[in-house]
Amino acid sequence: MVGVLIRMRWRVLRHSLHGKQAVLTVLGFVAGLVAATVTLLVAAAPFDDARVAADVLAAVYLVWTVGWLFAPVLSGGGDETLRPEHFALLPLTPRQLAAGLLGAAFVGVPAMVTAVAFCGLLVHASGARVLVAVVAAPLQLVFVILLSRVMMAALGAVLRSRRGRDLGILLTAAVGMSGFGVQALVRSLGPGLVEGESPVLSAVLRWSPSGWGTVAVTSSWPVALACVAGLLVVNAALLAVWGVLLVRRTTRVAATASAVRQRRFGGVLPATPVGAVVGKELRTWARDARRRVAMLSTVLVGVVISVGPLLSGDGGPAPFGGLALVAFGCLMAGNLYGMDGSALWHTVVAPGVSRADVRGRQIAWLLVIGPVALALAVVLPAVSDPGTYPWVLGLAPALLGGGAGLVVLLSVYAGYPMPDQRASPFASGGSSGLLRTLLQLGIGLLLAVVSLPVVAVVLVGEVAGMPVVSWLGVPVGIGLGVLTFWWWGALAARRLADRGPELLGQVSKRV
Amino acid sequence: MSEALRLTRLYKTFGTTIAVDHIDLAVPAGSFFGLVGPNGAGKTTSLSMAVGLLRPDAGTATVFDIDVWADPLRAKTLIGVLPDGMSMPERLTGRELLTYMGLLRGLPAGTVAERADELLAVLELADAQHRLVIDYSAGMRKKIGLAVALLHAPRLLVLDEPFEAVDPVSASTIRTILQRFVASGGAVVLSSHVMALVEQLCSHVAVITRGRVVAAGPVDLVRGATSLEEAFVHIVGGRTGGGEGLSWLAS
Repeated sequence: MVGVLIRMRWRVLRHSLHGKQAVLTVLGFVAGLVAATVTLLVAAAPFDDARVAADVLAAVYLVWTVGWLFAPVLSGGGDETLRPEHFALLPLTPRQLAAGLLGAAFVGVPAMVTAVAFCGLLVHASGARVLVAVVAAPLQLVFVILLSRVMMAALGAVLRSRRGRDLGILLTAAVGMSGFGVQALVRSLGPGLVEGESPVLSAVLRWSPSGWGTVAVTSSWPVALACVAGLLVVNAALLAVWGVLLVRRTTRVAATASAVRQRRFGGVLPATPVGAVVGKELRTWARDARRRVAMLSTVLVGVVISVGPLLSGDGGPAPFGGLALVAFGCLMAGNLYGMDGSALWHTVVAPGVSRADVRGRQIAWLLVIGPVALALAVVLPAVSDPGTYPWVLGLAPALLGGGAGLVVLLSVYAGYPMPDQRASPFASGGSSGLLRTLLQLGIGLLLAVVSLPVVAVVLVGEVAGMPVVSWLGVPVGIGLGVLTFWWWGALAARRLADRGPELLGQVSKRV
Repeated sequence: MSEALRLTRLYKTFGTTIAVDHIDLAVPAGSFFGLVGPNGAGKTTSLSMAVGLLRPDAGTATVFDIDVWADPLRAKTLIGVLPDGMSMPERLTGRELLTYMGLLRGLPAGTVAERADELLAVLELADAQHRLVIDYSAGMRKKIGLAVALLHAPRLLVLDEPFEAVDPVSASTIRTILQRFVASGGAVVLSSHVMALVEQLCSHVAVITRGRVVAAGPVDLVRGATSLEEAFVHIVGGRTGGGEGLSWLAS
């Protein structure tokens, strides 16, 4: 059973490995190998104090474990090459299915490089402890894989209910942002660890399951046996939990039958083609899980960038938080047609609506991002550095207008397909390809070009000491914003009218 | 004689919507059973609960007297299912999909290879057997799904809209396969919106509307003296519209 699933996954991987995907996989493998080699070096490093050496190794393995926990969330919904749904009709017990999928999880770059990294236990062990390491290393590997799978299965169960989805989105976005926190943590705790000064930290590292393997190869025999037994028990428990979660996933559906709240834009939006597109887009931003992921993470990035340095008293980029939010929101939403998938056919079959479609999407994006960005732009400089007002108020309209132009430009010129709506809203497909990513980034640079004139005007004012000139940046910014909104929107509309069928073919591919 | 499939007081709600409202249904062994009903009547929900894909809120489903939810392993060996809009490992070729699914069901490798050969040939997928499933057309996906459902020689086949998007030649082939299957003592349950097809193929029919069975039995009894289509419209209390309004459409 397990063997069949392993071969099956191997096949699927081989079929999906060609062209750019293969290049990316090889790059990932090399990067992973570098990380694993560093781990092996740490394991072999001659520390003066054996206890410190064990602490550092346990800390490194904690990092690997945390990586397994959060990497799937960040990289988009985890590994879905073999879905439990594919096996729902087979006469398999939950435990069998979980064991089979666990076996299949070993096939792949992440598991391979982690296996290499966990061989550090063998390197670190001396004498007869090598025997312990031979048992502990695989157990530790199974532990991180199971932990990651259970975490994703649990999150997935939450995400499948509509109410839970928003919670999950916030949680995940928060995890994504926690990089800042981790950095601070390493900076403040790292030195203490290497000096061996913090018994509490050392105890935490050793007593969390990620450190049990390290403890097993560095302690007395009874402790070593207890650690190995502990890993066994934890793994068995995780496997059982995963089995239960798998069955829940394949035998329940989310309650999506309830009617959605009716929103009436009729009184506000004009009954024109553009008004109709704006109304449809605003509803979609509110109702589509994938769009909400994009929007919420955008807002969260803006808030974290603004508030973070403010709290730590660095000042720094805080006044520009609103601008960062616009730039990020532009890149996050730069695949509007891809997010809608084959729904683009509505636009393609209706004659002469590409202009209305593009303009409507631009306006809707402005209505979603604009208020938050403007609020941040008005409030942040006041609480951090009022001297930056000419910069912020000049750049905000330029970036908002340019962003609204770029969103549709990106969507039309660099649209790429996204996975089935029923999959996890975090799944990004991952196969957008190197070239496409570069194209996205390249077009994103246009945003920097838009801001140049404003920067120049304000800079001249600052250097010359003439505030009036600095404040001229604001009308310049507004003018630039209007111009790029109109110009880039027109470019996108023409492209959509000319190449609509090609775009439809591109975004409705199955991934 | 035991029934191939029996649903007893099966019940399922989604939020405040009652999708399936205490359905009772008996499918005799050796019968070709059609399940018909308007859109959203609860056909797919009932069939999903009958084969172990959706946990019922109440009620039981048994296959040849084996409870699907109490003893899923034994029940699932007896059932072959073609779900509607099924998800399958897209990046396997048709042959690989059949091979791995057969091996997962514990069939010997030799048997799997033989059966895969025959199924691919009969369903006219032999030319496409080395292409990835992701590149299959809608009809080809139906056919490879049917091949997976047949592979382990089940005794009950549950098929959701098996003829949708399938070309006439393949549809005729599938009909013949199913009729042979029933003649040899197996039972087929299929859902369809095509009344003529149900009338022509099925020995029994059940009409489901708003989550309830409103008529069930041998096709001749259910339709009476009229065609099944007329009987269906009468039973579900519908009225074929389309005669009034829409005057702008013709002008």
